[in-house]
Amino acid sequence: MGDNFQNNKTMASVMMDYDFKVKTQNERSKVEDLFDFEGCKVGRGTYGHVYKARRKDGSDTKDYALKQIEGTGLSMSACREIALLRELKHPNVINLIRVFLSHTDRKVWLLFDYAEHDLWHIIKFHRAAKANKKSVMVPKGMVKSLLYQILDGIHYLHSNWVLHRDLKPANILVMGEGPERGRVKIADMGFARLFNAPLKPLADLDPVVVTFWYRAPELLLGARHYTKAIDIWAIGCIFAELLTSEPIFHCRQEDIKTSNPYHHDQLDRIFNVMGFPLEKDWEDIRKMPEHATLVKDFKRSNYQNCSLSKYMDRHKIKPDSKAFSLLQRLLLMDPNRRITSEQAMQDPYFTEDPLPTQDVFAGCPIPYPKREFLTDDDQEDKSDSKARQNQQQQQPNTQQNQVQANSHDHGANNAKRMRMPGPNQGNNTSGGGQQEFHQQQQMMFGGQQQGGNSQQQGNFQQRF
Amino acid sequence: MAGNFWQSSHHQQWILDKQDLIRDRQHDLNILTEEEYQKIFNFFASIIQILGEQLKLRQQVIATATVYFKRFYARNSLKCIDPLLLAPTCVFLASKVEEFGVISNSRLITTCQTVIKNKFSYAYGQQEFPYRTNHILECEFYLLENLDCCLIVYQPYRPLLLFVQDIGQDEQLLTYAWRIVNDSLRTDVSLLYPPYQIAIGALHIACVMLGKENLKPWFAELNVDMDKIQEIVRSIINLYEMWKSYDEKKEIQVLLGKMPKPKPAPQR
Repeated sequence: MGDNFQNNKTMASVMMDYDFKVKTQNERSKVEDLFDFEGCKVGRGTYGHVYKARRKDGSDTKDYALKQIEGTGLSMSACREIALLRELKHPNVINLIRVFLSHTDRKVWLLFDYAEHDLWHIIKFHRAAKANKKSVMVPKGMVKSLLYQILDGIHYLHSNWVLHRDLKPANILVMGEGPERGRVKIADMGFARLFNAPLKPLADLDPVVVTFWYRAPELLLGARHYTKAIDIWAIGCIFAELLTSEPIFHCRQEDIKTSNPYHHDQLDRIFNVMGFPLEKDWEDIRKMPEHATLVKDFKRSNYQNCSLSKYMDRHKIKPDSKAFSLLQRLLLMDPNRRITSEQAMQDPYFTEDPLPTQDVFAGCPIPYPKREFLTDDDQEDKSDSKARQNQQQQQPNTQQNQVQANSHDHGANNAKRMRMPGPNQGNNTSGGGQQEFHQQQQMMFGGQQQGGNSQQQGNFQQRF
Repeated sequence: MAGNFWQSSHHQQWILDKQDLIRDRQHDLNILTEEEYQKIFNFFASIIQILGEQLKLRQQVIATATVYFKRFYARNSLKCIDPLLLAPTCVFLASKVEEFGVISNSRLITTCQTVIKNKFSYAYGQQEFPYRTNHILECEFYLLENLDCCLIVYQPYRPLLLFVQDIGQDEQLLTYAWRIVNDSLRTDVSLLYPPYQIAIGALHIACVMLGKENLKPWFAELNVDMDKIQEIVRSIINLYEMWKSYDEKKEIQVLLGKMPKPKPAPQR
């Protein structure tokens, strides 16, 4: 910009005072002067790049997350992110510590506390274990604790009229070892989404896979506004995924570069799980912009035998359990009937033993691997890496590597951890029932980790 | 964001102390009288207002831009950045923060050029708007730094609506008070008082103008520091007094000439 400064002399006015410019330059600290982060990239996506960083002066030895925002300058999403995070303060919402503006390359850097885990990696780890018929030891209240803290954070955002708009497992972070061990941090609010045209920015993104798995049915039917209820639907999806290790509304992915919100396959998947909505269950469905398309494309009779209780029952969640009852209230098709985060936090599920804990790992060793640094090779493969950031795709090889890489963790002290057996073993005792299983857990807490698999149930969910 | 004002950066960092404000302006007040200083801010508030209207922004966005502008110069001399550059930069930043769609760079510059040419020729004569997109973008970084990234500004409009609702929907009262809030942007009250107090101050003036004696009990029942309200009322009334005997079209060129200006890099 020095050139412009000089050019301005030809005009009537000089834009900026030289002494002011020099003074602010000298006072400004540069991110690379304060932090070490070279070669420590841990994430990338449409939002930019994230590095694991340490202070150079050693005034503390904490890990930090440094996010370099994609592109240059202050995009609207960068502005919204800075503006809102500057004001938001809640234990379950990511905390913006500082902003660095790099005037030379016009890059914007955001400094956060470092979260070692996220639900995308955690669920992936469990799925990999399941595929390899290995077990993962986690406290039996972990899913409940995770859900409670997600609801707590969202309740805070909603009571400040901030909508997340992009809730998915990858955006739910969990703190690793340290003073905030096992605490949920909600991150990456959909700052880019316009309030009045929620779907437009999707078309503006690179043609990476944009997941529709967590999108509420009203959005898929053309609802024009984001609402609190849309965030609640996504939380229901995440809850189901935590219980079963499977994305409940899993659907074939496409490279979407369209602003059309209507998505036939995703709706089909939702109806296949939930059944086709009855008029009396969702009266306003007729007012949805894409209702005519819905009527044209779908036949109720194709979904006659589908219901959430049947789906969850197949995944060993009993329809009479408190977990199922809460899930059903979160995943109501009619957005007006879906419960609020506040109501959800009052659900009996959370007063039933085991009670939610502040540390979702409840003091037990954390079985999940730390984030790996991404290499430059990965960086070349941009589309792949973006997909990895944004998606929950099955990546058998990666999963296997992770399980092997961390197999040593399983030998650690498992005094209060549960094993996670593979799905086949679990299937043997589908009739075993939840109660019995809890008794089994109590025994397991005595320290025995190996064996006894055959009496345990199939997956993640049953543990909690 | 309609969060909690008491926990906001606005309340915690940007309700300034009057004495501090006067001290920080000392450099400019060695050159300009307080009244001249206020007239210059009045002028740039007009530029922001008209720019915002031309860009079809809501009043909320225009008010936020004006507060950014005032906050910057609360900490810096007028000479640090040319206010003719900072004004559109504030509009640009506020429009992004308030999520009202990005104004394209070219549209912003074109609008600045038209507005300066058509509406402010009495100040700038034949002179064209001298800045381009790159100047605004550079300036934006300096603005954000000086605001300490505090971008959410609480405005008196929402509390005003609630108060008028409480009084019992009175459209005339609301219209008057709303305009008085707009006018208050040309005073320092947005730097010194919480927005709900400014709303009450504006209502108070509106009641006096409309001769609404019957609302005295309503004010009396408010649990609010009436000394502060009186200070706000006085600031706004002073503005109206100043306007009575002030012809901006005649005086502004002289004032702009007298205004402290940025100095270029020393020649070698």
